Amino acid sequence: MKKELDLRGLTCPEPVLRTKKIIDDQAVSSVEALVDSEVNVQNLERLARSQKLFVKKESVGNHFKVSIDRQEAQVADQNETHAKMPHQATGVAGGFAEATRGGGTIVFISKDTFGHGSDSEKDHDFSHNLLNVFLQTIQQSGLKPRAILMANSGVKLIDPNASTYKVLCDLKDGGTTVLACGLCLDYYGLKDKVPLEQVTNMFAICEYLFAADQVLSP
Amino acid sequence: MTTKPEKDKPEETPRLTSNVKAAGCAAKISAHELKQILAGLPKIYDANLLTSITNFEDAAVYKLHDDQAVIQTVDFFPPVVDDPYLFGQVAATNALSDIYAMGGTPLLALAIFCFPTCDYPLSMAAEILRGGADQIVKAGAMVAGGHSIQGSEVLYGLAVTGLVHPGKMLTNGGAKSGDAIVLTKALGTGVSLLALKADLLDHEEQARLFSSLTTLNNRPLSVLNGIDIHACTDVTGFGLIGHIHEMTKASKLAASISINKLRFLPSCLELAKEGLVPAGSYANRKSFESNVSYINDLPLEVTDLIYDPQTSGGLLLAVRADQVDEVLKRLGDDKIEASHIGQFLEGIPGHIDVTIH
Repeated sequence: MKKELDLRGLTCPEPVLRTKKIIDDQAVSSVEALVDSEVNVQNLERLARSQKLFVKKESVGNHFKVSIDRQEAQVADQNETHAKMPHQATGVAGGFAEATRGGGTIVFISKDTFGHGSDSEKDHDFSHNLLNVFLQTIQQSGLKPRAILMANSGVKLIDPNASTYKVLCDLKDGGTTVLACGLCLDYYGLKDKVPLEQVTNMFAICEYLFAADQVLSP
Repeated sequence: MTTKPEKDKPEETPRLTSNVKAAGCAAKISAHELKQILAGLPKIYDANLLTSITNFEDAAVYKLHDDQAVIQTVDFFPPVVDDPYLFGQVAATNALSDIYAMGGTPLLALAIFCFPTCDYPLSMAAEILRGGADQIVKAGAMVAGGHSIQGSEVLYGLAVTGLVHPGKMLTNGGAKSGDAIVLTKALGTGVSLLALKADLLDHEEQARLFSSLTTLNNRPLSVLNGIDIHACTDVTGFGLIGHIHEMTKASKLAASISINKLRFLPSCLELAKEGLVPAGSYANRKSFESNVSYINDLPLEVTDLIYDPQTSGGLLLAVRADQVDEVLKRLGDDKIEASHIGQFLEGIPGHIDVTIH
């Protein structure tokens, strides 16, 4: 069953309450709600996501149409990921926080090797060990990069079983921020092994890189 | 389905909050709009005026003598709750807070009151004023007069005058790098008041909310006598992030906030997740998010709460890191729900890192 709601002229929280009453009825397959403020749109989006329902919005003249659908569950999954990216989810166009990271030296590691030899396993091990030596040298020289950021296969360095894990912990204890891309950790099956405070996102990575005085990528 | 059923039954007294669009400090004009409005005002130069309007201070402070300054502040808003006496109490608690945030003691208050006498019984007006006056007395001050007008919407608040030693005045500025940030109340009054309006709070949640809204901010500074407090403000309409931003800007520092250290009123994360987010939260996000870096991925409802406009919120204190344990102990002993939520750091003035830990 499809339902249409005209919620224009109502103030918060009335639109959310009336929509919730409708979608709580399992017989309702989809709802199209008309609202007249951006706040009501965003609150209906939150409501739909909390119920794991698909939601989409469109502008119609000077108001908005929010469509909530029970069927498209897999798309709702995408929205779930979306919800974790506040900048995107709220549609705030602000861009990066202004010169947020305060410059400094950023070590950006986007693969698990220092340079690369041939594709043979032996060469790969050698290149990987070189990266370990690179990090050890930074640590022993007392150099303190502002942050070490890991992305793509570079996130393997922070696997607690990796040879590089200890030196990264030492650098972290020495005051360097050590962060790994969450999407990449997920891809390499490492997300559960890394504490949450070391998991970051592309937005923060870009902020670090753009504000850096220098970026070193071994 | 009619949109405004209460209009069909004129014989019944409408709920006090029924016509209110934005409740409490959520009714504030947004920070970026306010900036535009204030831009054209004449510049003020007076050596005895100790606060600057550009620092968005909580109150104006004017030095009378070397050992005495007068603090003036005014705050009013539409009803946040249906119980008129409670609304009076909340408005007075909120108005007094600015005096405490400047490190001062309240002395006198004048009521500001707008009331549509055709829509509501006069007894309701009397209850609002009584709630406010009782709370002012509880704070050791008095309501010495006021001004009332007719209008289409109920509005109530107070102009409060207080005193402070100029050397002991606390402002947004003055925090030092490394200082701990301590917050003395749980967050979430914006979401909770919206949920209250929607009848979604159970009895216990309501009690927690009302207790938070009517808890005077006089205790934290009095139990912290002897502690070095470098800066102080109260969290109100601009939300946690907005007020920390004002502190960092005035103190020329950056700050970092740990989400795990924040306390929230019961159920407000769940309520925000379901879309009970006040318009003021979106306005605050728009005004302040360009100063914020989310270092870790955070659920949307958590970031909604750090922008949640607070009515009668807690104090934000900048204290020396080596004194923070003592501060938390003293506040805890006084049953104040304080937590150490982050620190001030060297960095771009006004910038805030938000992390999980």
